[in-house]
Amino acid sequence: MIPPSADSLLIIPAFNEERSIGAVVDRVRATGLAIDVLVVNDGSRDGTPNLARKHGAEVVSHPFNLGYGAALQTGYKYAVRHGYNHVVQMDADGQHDPAYIPLLLEPVRSGQADVVIGSRFIEASGYEMGGARTAGRVFFQRVLVWCGGPRIADPTSGLQALSRPVVRFCCSDFYPFDFPDIDVLLLLHRQGFRIREIPVTMAPSPPLRKPMHAGLRAVYYPYKMLLSTFRSLLTPRVKLASE
Amino acid sequence: MNPSTIDVDALRRLAIEQPESLSTRILALALCTAFLVAVLILVRRGRLREEYTPIWTVVALGTMVLSVWFDAVRLLTRAVGAWTPSSTLFFFALVFLLTVSLNYAVRLSGLSLQVKLLAQEVALLRQQLGSRPADREDDAPAR
Repeated sequence: MIPPSADSLLIIPAFNEERSIGAVVDRVRATGLAIDVLVVNDGSRDGTPNLARKHGAEVVSHPFNLGYGAALQTGYKYAVRHGYNHVVQMDADGQHDPAYIPLLLEPVRSGQADVVIGSRFIEASGYEMGGARTAGRVFFQRVLVWCGGPRIADPTSGLQALSRPVVRFCCSDFYPFDFPDIDVLLLLHRQGFRIREIPVTMAPSPPLRKPMHAGLRAVYYPYKMLLSTFRSLLTPRVKLASE
Repeated sequence: MNPSTIDVDALRRLAIEQPESLSTRILALALCTAFLVAVLILVRRGRLREEYTPIWTVVALGTMVLSVWFDAVRLLTRAVGAWTPSSTLFFFALVFLLTVSLNYAVRLSGLSLQVKLLAQEVALLRQQLGSRPADREDDAPAR
């Protein structure tokens, strides 16, 4: 196994992202950060893996599409096996600015937090979300608090930094195949992990992109999220096996 | 008709004790036999694994027994408070199908998890071996 060249790993889950993946990896490289970049190709049918590799990222390819959560978890497993101490995750569509990576990592590195979320809504960042999505975000924010979880302004943000214990915990079978949102945050909170948010700005979603929760998913997503939040609420605290 | 003149119990007894026709019995027996034969053929062809057959064999044999010994259905109808043997059969058939569906949903969930774990393992192992250029062409998704 090749030893890591840095103590942090940036995980970028990607599914058919050939339009943006090269630029995203280039932007990360341009920051000059000492961080390894892993693109988890989630069964893309386009040139995503080759482009990512061409731009200098390490690539892990699922044999078929498993889902965003499963792609993240593959990245976590990679990070654990390669001995990384911290993980940052960001989306492959170019919405997230890699300039925030050091700010996200700082509280995790200094031991002040186990999970740091890049939030669009702590400060006015000009990020515009549709009415339905805003209502959904506020609703789930409240559900999280009602369930005894922390007050998180942007629970659906994909820009996060995680400590190694969190990453190891997220390698378990509970981790969702699709979107890890308040269900995972609640579970992490109940397991004693400290969650923090820092303000970030994000670019709007690319216009040609199909919304993640469109169509029937708009109905399924809240149902599934409530059910898995209920499950998180009932999950007892588990002790991680020593490494 | 004045409802107060109807003897509901007598009506119910009449519905339960209606004699079943011979053709219904023969049809039920034929269908059960065909079902059993289908199960055996599927096992022989390797399309149905043995561990999934007991439930279907029991259902087929049970239905055979009930079609021969119809008094058992009448007994059951009285016990559950139904009006007709056919509604009792439909009720239990529905409960059975719901249970089987739930059972398969549980099995499917387990299999989905196993498939995910395997796919992740394949991806990570392939990446570990993937420093060789020949392996890199395997990025194409499985069809």
